[in-house]
Amino acid sequence: MAAQNKVESNSGDMPSTTDPAAEQKDRLIAAVKKEVKQLMEEAVTRKFVHEESGGVTALCGAVEACLGQGLRRRALGLFKTSSTTALLHKIAKNCPEAALVSARVLSAEGAPATRSASGVERRPSAPRPPLHKRGSGSLLGSQPPPTYRYLWIRIALFERQLAKIIEHLVNNATRYYERDALVADPDYGSILSSLLVGPCALEYSKAKAPACFWTDPPADELVQRHRMSAGTTTPPSVRRPILNFRRSLNASSDDNASVNAGSGNSTASSAKDYVESLHQNSRATLLYGKNNVRVQPKDVEEPMPGYLSLHQSAAGLVIKWTPNQLMNGYAESEGIDKSIYWAMSLQVCVWEVVYVHVHRSQASDALILVGQDGVQRPPIQFPKGGHLLSFLSNLETGLLPHGQLDPPLWSQRGTGKVFGRNKGRRRPMPSLCESGENDESEVDEVAGDYVFRIVNNAIADREAMRHSLLERVIQSPPRTPRRTLASTSTTSSDSSTMSVDCPPIIGNLTQTTITQVSLEQAASIELVCSTMRRQIISRAFYGWLAYCRHLSTVRTHLSGLVHPNIVPGENTNEGLTDAIWRSMMDEQGAIVDKDEVYRLVYYGGVQHDIRKEVWPFLLGYYEFNTTFQERQEQDCTYRRQYETTMSEWLCVEAIVRQRDREATAASIARLSQSSGKPKPEVEPCEVFEDDCSVISDNPPVVSPEPSENEQKRLEVKPVLSRAPSIDEVDNIELDEEKNENGVKINGETDTCEDITFDDDDDDEVCIKSVVENPDMRRESIAEIKRLAEGIVQKGDGRGLLCSVDSGNANLYGNDNKSIEEPAPNHAHSVIVTNPSVDLAVTGGSPASGGTTAPASPARSPLGVLREESHSAGASFDTLDPESRPDNRSNCVSPASSNGGVYSNELVENFALNLHRIEKDVQRCDRNYPFFTDENLDKLRNIMCTYVWEHLDMGYMQGMCDLAAPLLVIMRDEAVAHALFARLMCRAKDNFPSGQAMDAYFADMRSLIQILDCELYELMHAHGDYTHFYFCYRWFLLDFKRELLYQDVFSAWELIWVARYVASEHMVLFIALALLETYRDVILANSMDFTDIIKFFNEMAERHDASAVLSLARDLVLQVQTLIENK
Amino acid sequence: MSSRKKVLLKVIILGDSGVGKTSLMNQFVNKKFSNQYKATIGADFLTKEVIVDDRIVTMQIWDTAGQERFQSLGVAFYRGADCCVLVFDVTAPNTFKSLESWRDEFLIQASPRDPDHFPFVILGNKVDLDNRAVSAKRAQQWCQSKNDIPYFETSAKEAVNVELAFQTIARNALAQETEAELYNEFPDQIKLNANDNNRNRDGDNCAC
Repeated sequence: MAAQNKVESNSGDMPSTTDPAAEQKDRLIAAVKKEVKQLMEEAVTRKFVHEESGGVTALCGAVEACLGQGLRRRALGLFKTSSTTALLHKIAKNCPEAALVSARVLSAEGAPATRSASGVERRPSAPRPPLHKRGSGSLLGSQPPPTYRYLWIRIALFERQLAKIIEHLVNNATRYYERDALVADPDYGSILSSLLVGPCALEYSKAKAPACFWTDPPADELVQRHRMSAGTTTPPSVRRPILNFRRSLNASSDDNASVNAGSGNSTASSAKDYVESLHQNSRATLLYGKNNVRVQPKDVEEPMPGYLSLHQSAAGLVIKWTPNQLMNGYAESEGIDKSIYWAMSLQVCVWEVVYVHVHRSQASDALILVGQDGVQRPPIQFPKGGHLLSFLSNLETGLLPHGQLDPPLWSQRGTGKVFGRNKGRRRPMPSLCESGENDESEVDEVAGDYVFRIVNNAIADREAMRHSLLERVIQSPPRTPRRTLASTSTTSSDSSTMSVDCPPIIGNLTQTTITQVSLEQAASIELVCSTMRRQIISRAFYGWLAYCRHLSTVRTHLSGLVHPNIVPGENTNEGLTDAIWRSMMDEQGAIVDKDEVYRLVYYGGVQHDIRKEVWPFLLGYYEFNTTFQERQEQDCTYRRQYETTMSEWLCVEAIVRQRDREATAASIARLSQSSGKPKPEVEPCEVFEDDCSVISDNPPVVSPEPSENEQKRLEVKPVLSRAPSIDEVDNIELDEEKNENGVKINGETDTCEDITFDDDDDDEVCIKSVVENPDMRRESIAEIKRLAEGIVQKGDGRGLLCSVDSGNANLYGNDNKSIEEPAPNHAHSVIVTNPSVDLAVTGGSPASGGTTAPASPARSPLGVLREESHSAGASFDTLDPESRPDNRSNCVSPASSNGGVYSNELVENFALNLHRIEKDVQRCDRNYPFFTDENLDKLRNIMCTYVWEHLDMGYMQGMCDLAAPLLVIMRDEAVAHALFARLMCRAKDNFPSGQAMDAYFADMRSLIQILDCELYELMHAHGDYTHFYFCYRWFLLDFKRELLYQDVFSAWELIWVARYVASEHMVLFIALALLETYRDVILANSMDFTDIIKFFNEMAERHDASAVLSLARDLVLQVQTLIENK
Repeated sequence: MSSRKKVLLKVIILGDSGVGKTSLMNQFVNKKFSNQYKATIGADFLTKEVIVDDRIVTMQIWDTAGQERFQSLGVAFYRGADCCVLVFDVTAPNTFKSLESWRDEFLIQASPRDPDHFPFVILGNKVDLDNRAVSAKRAQQWCQSKNDIPYFETSAKEAVNVELAFQTIARNALAQETEAELYNEFPDQIKLNANDNNRNRDGDNCAC
């Protein structure tokens, strides 16, 4: 806004300046260009532009500036109002667009409080818009709220007339503008009007309240905005892991531990401080000072003179020696490198000194300090004349009260302290001092060597304390914070005020500097200080330790997520193509190099055409080394097994249907009763108990007054296909086998029939319909396969008998009601599904077009059923024992031999599941063309069979989604079921009954922490984030809902083979890749828990799957590399 | 983003699977009905601005998975709810029967400050179907017995009563917020009025 104001003022101030005119025009037009561009961008992302958007105001400002420039105000008599507004009114006579806008402006100005067409005046109460107060040239003068500004331009823009008005102005520029004005310029003028054509075509809206104008932009917009601002659409590169440990423990190393402490202070400014510290100051008392004390530092040939001082500070007594070169004024010699002198200076803490050796000779008095470590400091040579003695006596005084010299100096009247006589130990010591000084004035001084020990009384006490502490520490090892990543401060919950609470285990790091001061108080302060220091050091250490441990844990953890060996991805661009696949098989159909298959699929996926062939291998249903024949046999066996299972639950389903019907009838009766005559009191508690006893969450579909037919229809509808369909396929292939076994079954079959016959009339209906089926079938698919018919009959009969049988048996046990409907259902359904299976198997081409065509006649349930019941040509020979499938015994036996074997519990349990399955199957991928009713029936059968086999687990929402893509690829029900069962082995843990989901969330956490710390911090900042619930559906359904179908296929293949190639938990990396793809959007908008859920829900099926998957592979590689570098 | 500080009402929709929770939510927010909805997995939410008594409030409507097994997941979403919408299918008595347990479960998990007066709204959905199995009367009686919960008969498919129901939801949720601020001054009056209106209307609409 400021820049724009400047532009305006320019235009006002110098309308007729000629020299910079061109430049100014350039600037003005550039401003318009910029604003137009911004506005168009906004429009692209939002689909509409809000009227009160800042972009609109800015554009209007820029346009106003252009129009104001070079306007012939005087000539036109435009003085009192905004000149351009007046201009508008003026041209309104000649320009119809301007007239329209002019009228609007007048009405807007006239009725400020009402919301008129343009809606721009959301104004408080000002009766006159400040527009009118503005002088022509001083737009800057008043500062009206932005919405008032450029009223007419605004309105013209919203009315989409602005471009035309400007065009009119440009065309008639000579009348209104100076010759050098922008509008009058042949080029600039037309540029201006054409620039505004775009904005005039936009949709302007004031529909949304300003409050919600900014809120909750949809995911799309967020992504687009990000692309615009980022300039590139490439997914953000994944950040390098932040494993480098940058904290330095050296920072805390003690300065008093090093002799060359001064070396650190090598800068000039600190030199000054250092020298000043040698004087008496508030922190340290100067006990002794002497210049020209000579010391011979290392690497120096001659002893050098310097200043020796003894300081009493809080930390204890410190002996310092500083070479004269440093003492002689710091401001002097700038050029000379003093660092070597700093390196020479001495700083010795007295408490580190155990022995003080004194060598007195003719030439000089030398004093050697021997530290705890036994190392001798360079000899300090005092000039002759009692300086050494006075130093020692000062030292002795300084040591009090906590320490002393042993032996003490002797007091001598007159001369003060003197050296002891008898306790001095003579020892030959290498005298390095060769000073040429021969000051022999003090001959009475006896040459000789003395050794003093510095005794610290406090040490003994503290040692004892330390020992007790040490023991305590050993008993209870210090708490090691496991997850404190470089944040030791957070672990300080135990840093109580107990100053002794510091385990001094870390001898390497802490210099055990035991100090002592002369005052009790000082001692305790000093104790606190040193303890704190140790605490800090130890905490730093433990933090570091914890960090290292954490990293190693994470590494171990991560190493469990990926395989250690990296499989290279060369020559895998095309993935597993048909040609490659064929070439990998030997003539028997066995595949030798399965690892190569995995590798190819991992990096390139499977060509769609051969998915049907390859998937059973990938999911482990086929072994790679099997031959064609073996696989075929496996299929047969599996089909038989599958249909056996199916026949079992179909029996139970029949019972369920019956019960539902009864329950519905009851509830309808009740409903009609209650609606017919108002029965006033139904006690609240009874409300639920009055209608049906069957547990189901599926509404039994029954109309209030069911007629016979209608009821039939309603029944049949949801049940559509029961599918011994596969039976028949199986049967075809196993024809011989059946015939062999057929005889054996006779007995049982007869029993069944007997039971059936002994029953009521209704049962006969069932039989009839069963018998009818073959005819129906013949009609519909006779051309396709004649052979199938007989077998279909068998299959149907079996299914039917079974259901009736079990139904009866059960019902006998309960109440002697008859079964009417279940049988027709089965019979009918068989017809429905059979053709497709036949086709699929016999034709070998899983084309859905082929399957639907023959199925369609059979799909009209009503007709079918009617026909069935009418034609009573009951050919019982279809139930002929001889032609019966062998597995029939399997199916019948549970029902017939056990009678009421299906316990009420089991039936209710299955009923519950059945209703849930039906409800979900109906709405599974309805938008996907594959899922016609027929295929939904297959899906239902797969679900029911699986659930029947896993009744303890039961049906869980989401299973349908997992089975659907398998069915889409495999087409064959039984094989799809086999693959689904395989898939569920892993997936079942993801459902609420399992534990895998929590583990996934935890793994996600670790991975994000390692691979993208920025994102991790954002998540951490929003506590809710840690649930990672936005990933829930991803993991539960293996991204099935996040991606489009064709992408789901490749994602699943990747997940399946990854366990053999790179990682058993590929889902994690895909999830991470999804997150990383949008990380910048997430970060830029600082999304919280709900935002991110919404974002990803909206982005479902809109991801760039191939990019995400390849990013996932990259992430795996990244982690693998990370582990490898360990 | 200064407008973040506005009234946000969190509404949770619960009910058995397949009763039409997602459809209701989408009908209200997007004014659309689709027969393409899949079973909800996890949780999703939509937001909508509504004006309640001259106040602009944002409704954040959470749609959850219907299978009770997934409710352990929903707990995280229940917290801080301002209103709970219980949906059943008028053609499926069992979905009506489970209302009780849905309500209890919600109260346990969300643990609102004042469970007795926490605003619930019951929606009997799918009234467009003709195989109705739960009478409006029965539903009303139950609602009455539960501290006069407002009851609406809706059809997400034909947009029957959806707007009205959600207006009530918003109002009650807002009232709950306001009540909390005012230390529960007149909670009953507000509720009773809403209920009376609803009941009359329902009676008129649904003579089944």
